[in-house]
Amino acid sequence: MVENARSINIAASILLAIGILYIVGPLYLTLSTASQSYEYMLRNGLAWVPGTELFANMGKVIHDTRIPIQMLNSMIVAFSNALATCILSFLSAYAIVYFRIRWAGVAFALILATIMLPLDIRVITTYQVASNIFSPLNAVLDFTGLNSLIETMFGAPVQLELSVLDTHFGLIAPLVAHGTGTFLFRQFFLTLPKDLFKAARMDGAGPIRFLIDILLPLARTSFASLFVLTFLSGWTQYLWPLVGASTPDMQTAVVGLARLVPDADGQVPDFPMIMAGAVLVSLVPLTMIALLQRFLVQGLVLSEK
Amino acid sequence: MTAIDTAIRAAAAEIDLIGVTKSYDAKNTIIPPIDVTLRPGEFTVVLGPSGCGKSTLLQMIAGLERVSGGKIVIGGREVQDLEPKHRGCAMVFQNYALYPHMTVAENMAYSLKVAGVSKAERAERVGTVAKMLGLADFLTRKPGQLSGGQRQRVAIGRAIIREPGVLLFDEPLSNLDAQLRHDMRVELAELHRRIGATSVFVTHDQVEAMTLADRILILNKGHIEQFDTPKAIYHHPASVFVAKFIGSPPMNILQVEGDGSVLRLADGQAVANYAGKGKFQLGIRPEDIAVNEGGSIKTEIRYREDLGSHEILETKIAEQNLRIAMPFGVEIDTTQTLSLSFPQTRLHLFEGESGRAIANAFGDAQPASVKEYQ
Repeated sequence: MVENARSINIAASILLAIGILYIVGPLYLTLSTASQSYEYMLRNGLAWVPGTELFANMGKVIHDTRIPIQMLNSMIVAFSNALATCILSFLSAYAIVYFRIRWAGVAFALILATIMLPLDIRVITTYQVASNIFSPLNAVLDFTGLNSLIETMFGAPVQLELSVLDTHFGLIAPLVAHGTGTFLFRQFFLTLPKDLFKAARMDGAGPIRFLIDILLPLARTSFASLFVLTFLSGWTQYLWPLVGASTPDMQTAVVGLARLVPDADGQVPDFPMIMAGAVLVSLVPLTMIALLQRFLVQGLVLSEK
Repeated sequence: MTAIDTAIRAAAAEIDLIGVTKSYDAKNTIIPPIDVTLRPGEFTVVLGPSGCGKSTLLQMIAGLERVSGGKIVIGGREVQDLEPKHRGCAMVFQNYALYPHMTVAENMAYSLKVAGVSKAERAERVGTVAKMLGLADFLTRKPGQLSGGQRQRVAIGRAIIREPGVLLFDEPLSNLDAQLRHDMRVELAELHRRIGATSVFVTHDQVEAMTLADRILILNKGHIEQFDTPKAIYHHPASVFVAKFIGSPPMNILQVEGDGSVLRLADGQAVANYAGKGKFQLGIRPEDIAVNEGGSIKTEIRYREDLGSHEILETKIAEQNLRIAMPFGVEIDTTQTLSLSFPQTRLHLFEGESGRAIANAFGDAQPASVKEYQ
């Protein structure tokens, strides 16, 4: 509904202004605090006026904290997560849409279930598995009684152990298992002409060639938008990196930021420095959004279909 | 023959289907065993209502669908277990199925590229085919920038560029408007004459079938109803199904009963002389019915459609619909009872139960022209 009445216009403008204030306010506070000195903050609390210490604070973040290496970790995690998610989703959607598999429906339903069971809900079991990725296998061996059989034959049961906690792989893998991308690609593939696959087969292109020559170029924009979306979500992940990595050199920047607040009671946190860190950490996703906005919007539109 | 004519010319292959059958599970048999031979260079149109299995048949020849049983032999080779690319077939799809991100030239050359043909030869072949199809000015365009007819031409170009022995068409004209469809039909016939590949063309449009085919294969629920030349199918339909399917408006089919000397309608009117007893189905084409003063069959006009070139009269005799096609210029008083006669040589007789045609029921009914054609 598009109304042109003046009163409604004014009301809408006021509402918008409040909304903008609500969003921009904290951002402004972050920036202004980041540009003040620790002493200023000790005297005046959070700063509403910008100061001149922004670069000094950023320098402090870079030299005195682990934020730089943690940003590198974030970069690795977000990038690998995005890439792996794109590839995995692309391949699984390809299998579901283009091949007559009897249980394709079930597989797709299971993939969709991961959207309803996000990592935040599964964090404890995920931690258990990550601490020993063979634990499911061990459990199966125990449960089926194979282990007792092996024990009688070889003297000891099979108990494999390999922890991926505190590794980049351990941080990335659980994030990749997410069905949104598969759904996105599936919807996209369904909009393509049905006979395309057959035409390629008649032209002599096998499934792999069709994937590379036809499907991949066509899915370029979907690929890019999914990449941007998963990169951003990977960068801003908090819970899993907090649990999955315990040493400061393995933690991601977002977790590192939270850790800048001292644990000890009574000590006033160096908020200007923390805010400067927050600004630094936000720079990467901000740049990404600024440059690849187009794909972000396309991705949102596609996933709404 | 010009240089272009000889440039793309396929070695036409014979196609033999030997007991080919298709079923998705034990209950649903799409195609019961079919035996048919398509002669080299022949243009066969597979005609049938939707869901009769004609597309499935085509895709089995192409290798896009597996056969459930039987053998497919193309050019003397058993191919039913081979991949499409090894069968020497090319296909034109209903919705064109062009690669949207490739230019016209790339679309046509893709199969050559996959086959490892050199860039120079690809360009040359694309040039030849494009010239042949009038696409030379569009080679750098994407399919999205072309009209429906041009896209269809690209799809055809993509199919013939490999000089396949067998060309398969899956309802290629059904997405075009009427005028374009007519033009493409003429073009296709011309193209077939020049290329000479064995062609199989699937359609549900009888006009396409009649105009394009050397022989028409009429399918009904997977069964072959008739496989013959368009003229033979028109003049000698092998069953009621074929009779009703071919011709516009379709042939009139009347339920009649024979008493040993004449065939009578349910209301007792005698319509033809025939020395058989029992139930029969009598067929007569709307254009073959003679309207004249002396006619012994009486009917009343319920409705008339003026189509310009001719008029269709909807009538009813003995509670059965009867359509009559009147040539242009014949004035009919629609309020009066109409007197008709059925010329004996134009009648078709079918068995009452099975609907199979009874050959020569009314003597030799073949028009002279048909005899010549065969």
